[in-house]
Amino acid sequence: MPTDLHGLADLDRIIHEPARLALAAILSVVESADFLYLQRETGLTKGNLSSHLAKMEEAGYVAIEKTYRGRIPLTLVRLTDAGASAFKAYRARFKKFLEKT
Amino acid sequence: MIDIEKIEKRTVRSFYDDGLLEIALGVFFVFLGGWLFAQAAAPEGSGLGAALSVLFVLVIVSAGVVVGRVVRFLKQRITYPRTGYVAFKKKEPSPKRRAAAALAGGLIGASLAVLYGLSPSARTMLPAVNGLLFAVAMLLMANKVGVLRFHVLAAASAVIGVGLTAAGAGDLKGFGLFFGLFGAAVILSGLAALIVYLKRSPRPADGGQEGPDAH
Repeated sequence: MPTDLHGLADLDRIIHEPARLALAAILSVVESADFLYLQRETGLTKGNLSSHLAKMEEAGYVAIEKTYRGRIPLTLVRLTDAGASAFKAYRARFKKFLEKT
Repeated sequence: MIDIEKIEKRTVRSFYDDGLLEIALGVFFVFLGGWLFAQAAAPEGSGLGAALSVLFVLVIVSAGVVVGRVVRFLKQRITYPRTGYVAFKKKEPSPKRRAAAALAGGLIGASLAVLYGLSPSARTMLPAVNGLLFAVAMLLMANKVGVLRFHVLAAASAVIGVGLTAAGAGDLKGFGLFFGLFGAAVILSGLAALIVYLKRSPRPADGGQEGPDAH
């Protein structure tokens, strides 16, 4: 059991949080997505989504670009290489943990 | 617990939510059907028939680019303001997969050529063979992206193709008719999806864009 708990403790806490895990999963299959798309797909409120994206950006897992589409502001988000590696590692580790328990 | 695979699949499937790809593809199929019908109706050995036959290759080759541009144009105006912008990764098929696809295509083409060469009457099977090939392609796509209405389109393709052959509408005219009817079915499916999408996804009043400010 302690070994199992070690496996759980080793998980990347930035990605392990459910909302951020969903964001990482979405961003892992797209090149980039805007704020509205991510909000629709995750069902998060604007404030929550902003806060989770800020945490992921701080960790270097996502890159956020604020641009314009015509006159409308557009917030584009993409998973960085570090984010993609962290997500991949998280999946592998979590799968291993589930297999053990 | 979060199902990562389900989220990934749902993200890929979101591309088809608005039905715009089907509408654009369906219009192309109807156009293709009209083209083939005109080709079949043109007097044998006429300049029009020859021109339609030569230009047909150009139509097929440029179809991917034209349909892609039309879908992008429509998404920019209809989808992105409602449910947001998303750019999907362009997956380059591996050399192994590309070789397998080329081999499968070559084998199907060669078998059909041999079959029709051996027996000209086998040409009447053209709509049925085409309908079944399209049905298999639609089923593969339906299973890959998990869109239920693609199963219905697969069944429609098989029924239209086999039905035309059974009704004696073989050869080029029947082939054209197949594309016309199947194209209409694809457009209807796309329109139904678009209506549902528009009802479910009103435009956000504020444009929906926001994000963390700390950067």
